[in-house]
Amino acid sequence: MKFIIDRFDGKKNYQQTYTVEKKDIEALTLLGTLLFIKQHLDLTLNFTASCRMAICGACGVRVNGHSYLACDTKMTELFEEYKDADTFRISPLSNYTVISDLAVDWEPAIENLRKVKPGLVAKDKFSEKEGCVQNQEEYDRIVGQWDCILCGVCASECNKLSADRSDYMEPFVYTHAWKVANDSRTKDPMIHVKPSVANGLWNCVHCHECTNRCPKHISAADDIAGLRALAMKKGLNSGVGPAHAKSFYTDLVEDSGRLNEIRLALRTEGVSTVLRAGTAVTLMSAGKMNPLEIFGGHEIEGHKDLVKMIEAAHAAHKE
Amino acid sequence: MTEQFTRREFLQSACITMGALAVSTTGVEKAFAATSTSTPNTSGMPSCDVLIIGSGAAGLRAAVAARKKNPNLSVVVVSKVMPTRSATTMAEGGINGVIDFSEGDSFELHAKDTVKGGDFLVDQDTALKFANYAGAAIHELDYIGMPFSRDSKGNVDKRYAGGASKIRCNFASDKTGHILTHTCLDDALKHGVKFLMDHHMLDLSIENGHCEGVVLRNIRTGDIAPVRAKSVVLATGGYTRVFWNRTSTPYIATGDGAAAALRAGLIFKDPEMLQFHPTGVCHGGTLITEAARGEGGILLNNLGERFMKRYVPNKMELAPRDIVARSIETEIREGRAFGHDMEAYVLLDVTHLGKEKIMRNLPQIRHIGLLFENMDLVEKPIAIRPTAHYSMGGIHVTSIDTMATPAPGLFAAGEASCVSIHGANRLGGNSLCDATVTGKIAGINAAEYAAKADFGAGKRLNDLTLKWTSHFKEITGSGKGNVNDMYALREELGAANWYNMGIFRTESKLLALADKHAEFQARYDAIRIPNTNPVFNTAYTEYVELGNLLLASRAALMGATARKESRGSHFREDYLKRDDENFLKHSMVTMDESGKMHLDWKDVVVGQFKIEERKY
Repeated sequence: MKFIIDRFDGKKNYQQTYTVEKKDIEALTLLGTLLFIKQHLDLTLNFTASCRMAICGACGVRVNGHSYLACDTKMTELFEEYKDADTFRISPLSNYTVISDLAVDWEPAIENLRKVKPGLVAKDKFSEKEGCVQNQEEYDRIVGQWDCILCGVCASECNKLSADRSDYMEPFVYTHAWKVANDSRTKDPMIHVKPSVANGLWNCVHCHECTNRCPKHISAADDIAGLRALAMKKGLNSGVGPAHAKSFYTDLVEDSGRLNEIRLALRTEGVSTVLRAGTAVTLMSAGKMNPLEIFGGHEIEGHKDLVKMIEAAHAAHKE
Repeated sequence: MTEQFTRREFLQSACITMGALAVSTTGVEKAFAATSTSTPNTSGMPSCDVLIIGSGAAGLRAAVAARKKNPNLSVVVVSKVMPTRSATTMAEGGINGVIDFSEGDSFELHAKDTVKGGDFLVDQDTALKFANYAGAAIHELDYIGMPFSRDSKGNVDKRYAGGASKIRCNFASDKTGHILTHTCLDDALKHGVKFLMDHHMLDLSIENGHCEGVVLRNIRTGDIAPVRAKSVVLATGGYTRVFWNRTSTPYIATGDGAAAALRAGLIFKDPEMLQFHPTGVCHGGTLITEAARGEGGILLNNLGERFMKRYVPNKMELAPRDIVARSIETEIREGRAFGHDMEAYVLLDVTHLGKEKIMRNLPQIRHIGLLFENMDLVEKPIAIRPTAHYSMGGIHVTSIDTMATPAPGLFAAGEASCVSIHGANRLGGNSLCDATVTGKIAGINAAEYAAKADFGAGKRLNDLTLKWTSHFKEITGSGKGNVNDMYALREELGAANWYNMGIFRTESKLLALADKHAEFQARYDAIRIPNTNPVFNTAYTEYVELGNLLLASRAALMGATARKESRGSHFREDYLKRDDENFLKHSMVTMDESGKMHLDWKDVVVGQFKIEERKY
């Protein structure tokens, strides 16, 4: 069978095909296969790996365009997933600068992590001498995010980063911000929330690809939502992002229950929505948007129950 | 453009050139730029006050401690990889440290267990101080954000660890090391520690007895450059990769620090003390943590017998590691195991704990069972056999008060160092607190030293850089060589070390291994890497690492051959008894300029704990 690997030697990009016997690799993990190729066929092939047991996060790569942690992926799983294909395309993680072959540059990501101040600043009642106290419920609330191993799979899958890296950070950066902001020991969650807001928190496009492929089943999308809710609760609710979120809420509760895209744009961006007129015309001519909805739409079936559910959720949250 | 700016900005802040050299900030760039054309810079080398090699828990704690001690100093952590890819992340079970005194536990008891567990090769004054620091370290880690598992009162939860007389192994699920590393990284970022990732320390320069800096290879570009530092902390981890495929440690832990120290004329202490962990998965040696036994897991042979009752009836599976490992190997040798030869194994059974408890307290090892053995340990016992795990030996450090080596300006910490906390065998749960505690002490003292010191002349550093620059050209220059040579040799070295210097050692096996090492060295020297590209040439990195492993193997063999007794992890079938009269001593291996190794001895510091037979 064949492995087509995307390569970069520091100057030029090219693809290289390696042919291996299926029997040599079928009991292995994807990392085992990469090691097999490097150690038997071509030692110029570069990738990174360290612990081989899914805890250090060094060996994230893409197979057929999707990101995997190589040591955590058995070849049999890939055979199953890709219906016994006999060719696989292996590429470096997306949305990172490639240094060589499958190895990518982590430095900008670490500098982003630095921005959200991931270190805990404990409440005054705690001390270095006596440590902290935390009950099981408070512990359970944060421990999921601590599974993040900085493998970069979420960032590789992130559509927002692919579209524009300049005003957004790797999804795991927000996960790190959320895990510390949401910790019962923290003195002030805003230490971490504010830089998250300042560095693209509201620019997530809700595609949930980060969540879908995280090898540790962490939902960076949920963590981003958590940070946003906290930001708004703490009064950081001006700007396009919060207005956008509030518009959803208004539609669901106070209006028809149906998302009103025209009002959404107006409420989110105000008069500058006019800049999107071209898009609106395209949508209208394709029958995707009804201009009359600016005056409101028909109430959806069961709207009253929906409002009740939302109110119940509010009440439960307050308790 | 964004990335380029970040990198430049980073280098500027990371490597502050000191006034002593009268080189401006642009000089730093020039220094790195100059080396990119392979002409080593002589007018102004990049430099910083405290340079830390290694980004595991020891390196990260050292960096924070140095920053806190003196915020005016530039502190840079150098790593072959990204921080968090280290062996520390792989630690599972927990971190020892007494924080609960209600059940009669004390620092003294922790020290006593450590001394006894280490088969009395531990320096006792060190062990006492260590136990004190370890207790404090748990609260400190909690305070900086480590999410420990909690007991019903909301305090740090603890479990049993092998060889301990009290329950004092604090834990965060079975991912304690991973969570500790990330806590330390977060804390390092908070304190403004800078990182030089993808940089490999090739050598260490000691001039007139003082450490003046290191030679670094930027793996990304291939540039080989001298970096001067007022003080250097080596936190490069252990060298159990000498057993290549029979170890639980990551691929990157290749004893680079210990090897560089040997080449620089420093002392490699107790190199023969390599620990074997009883429960590695059969394929590849990855660990099933001691926590599995701490939670109540049992070991079974092919007769379905709980065989530990034959060896340590009152401690059973929770006897110290060296004893459990030997017990399993004995079962294998005497035909009471499953499979044959290298495939032989016994079973570790946790099924009786129930799914809920396994999922809550042992999720990581369940995952490993699925990944490597296709076994769900909720349903079935898992196949295990011993695997090399930890290096008690390391760079000789004179005192736990400073973690300083005899060379002024050079410090060592964590598994790379040997201040003799663990003696001949490390207790489970003592590695994470070693890394945390010794890292911090090394950082504080490196900062203190750097604040008063001047830079060295850098002459030898420059010579070493030239040597390595031409070495790269020589090894890769022709672009010729067989792809398999290096990797085959690495496997052979691992197997030869395992068979001859593994759990059971004898004079004749060790002598045979000496011949093998000579042969391996000759083959190694003849290897050429068919890759001339300087950019991210990982094959060259692996070549250098293999050289370091060979050096560490030779040092370990020298100690193992000379130590004609059985003590802790060092078990000689031809000298079954511990011999305190002749060997209550640390082996001290050095290497001269010609590459010849020498052995000396240093007495163990005995204190309040009486030297006695080690019985469980």
